[in-house]
Amino acid sequence: MLHIIQLIVDWSEVWALLVPMLFCKKQPVLFKPVVFYIFIAFFINLAVDIIWKFRTMIPTAFNSNNYLYNLHSIVRFLLFSLFFIRLNQPYLLILKKAIPILFMAFVLINFGFWENFFNYWQFSSRLLSVEAFFLIFYSLQYYLFKINENVEVDIFTPDFWVVTGLGIYMTINFFIFLLHNELTIRLQSFSISLWKVHDVSYIIFNLFLAKALYESSKQ
Amino acid sequence: MNPANNDIRLLLVVGIAAMLMLFISVLLSFIFTQRKKLQFQQSLHALQQAQQYHLVEAAVRSEETERHRIAEKLHDEVGALLSSSKLHFKMMILKNADSQSRTLFDKGNELLDDAITEIRGISHNLHSYILQEFGLNEAIKHFSEKIADSPLIKITTKLDDHYKTTVPQNDIALYRITQELLNNILKHAEANIIHISSVYKNSVLNLTLVYNGQGLTQEMFEELCYTNEGLGLKNIQSRIYLLKGSISFFKVNNDYHIKISVPTLITT
Repeated sequence: MLHIIQLIVDWSEVWALLVPMLFCKKQPVLFKPVVFYIFIAFFINLAVDIIWKFRTMIPTAFNSNNYLYNLHSIVRFLLFSLFFIRLNQPYLLILKKAIPILFMAFVLINFGFWENFFNYWQFSSRLLSVEAFFLIFYSLQYYLFKINENVEVDIFTPDFWVVTGLGIYMTINFFIFLLHNELTIRLQSFSISLWKVHDVSYIIFNLFLAKALYESSKQ
Repeated sequence: MNPANNDIRLLLVVGIAAMLMLFISVLLSFIFTQRKKLQFQQSLHALQQAQQYHLVEAAVRSEETERHRIAEKLHDEVGALLSSSKLHFKMMILKNADSQSRTLFDKGNELLDDAITEIRGISHNLHSYILQEFGLNEAIKHFSEKIADSPLIKITTKLDDHYKTTVPQNDIALYRITQELLNNILKHAEANIIHISSVYKNSVLNLTLVYNGQGLTQEMFEELCYTNEGLGLKNIQSRIYLLKGSISFFKVNNDYHIKISVPTLITT
């Protein structure tokens, strides 16, 4: 039984994405970045888990999946930034448009001078925590804008579900991402157990995305 | 156990807990504030609806009061004056009058009769005394008989006798709606058969008008209500709104149907 649960949690980054994928059809332009994210993340995560499960059969030069986490982080950040910009909230507009540029500058400088994008042993804690920080900022500014806006019909709009899911996921994982490199060196088994928290939060995130896309397709 | 490792663990646990608490508190305050705002908006909307309702009510009531006042004036004052004139006319002695004077006298007498009938008609149209005395069913029947007084059109009625007036003002509104609809059918539909029926069930009066010719569909009705041409239809809509009822226009085979549903326990 434990083995089955272990297997489910291990592959959660893949199957969890299948839930929102069910509602991806006929989405408005606003949710296109989210739809793209779901499909791209599915293929990246599938590659991540396949490499991890069959690492003994793959040549050493190709059996690390850490660069895929870095790639996933960049893709996720850019697509969700686009989603927040497309929300058309006239609040901190310049800053919101500048953040993706700043982030890409950070990626280039970080991987150009300090870190290796294709690090065999670990993904970039710095990249993932910066991504989490900016996405938390985006989520909080969304709520601040909405508080000042008039409520028309419903609080729980499809964009609310996307932002809340993303916010919860990033809030839980900010410190996990930040300290992951340090933990893999000092407390490897703890870091592996902690990744299960990430996996559970990823399932929650995907359920929120599914709810958002379902509500949006109903409208 | 290495104390530095413990510090990292503690930092991690405290960090995650603090971040989560912060996020949840922002989320809860957001939901709470939005709920309050939504409630406020809803109460504001309800207030605006009530205000609009009162405005429509005042407009319809004042129109009705004015109709009543004019009808009374015409019936009691102008009608009485004309009847008195007629009496004086009758008492005139035309023994030595020539044939031309006699013709003029007869013509004047005839015109006076016409004026009396016309004034009576206008007065009854403006305020139905039958409605006041005998209720909605009789008023509709009487109005139908009056306008069907021609071989070109046949109007039949089958009105539910179980219906009894609860709020007289509602009956006036229903009568005016029926009047307006029948006038519209006569004017625009080129109908030669009209059937009016009513069913009273569960405190809801369902009044149906079925006619042939060129009728209205729901879309056409809604479109006309937003144009300047559909003043009568706008009036119907206002009265339906006031009665908290509904009106629907539809076509079944070659006949056009107008269905009015009004809850009779509503006191406006």
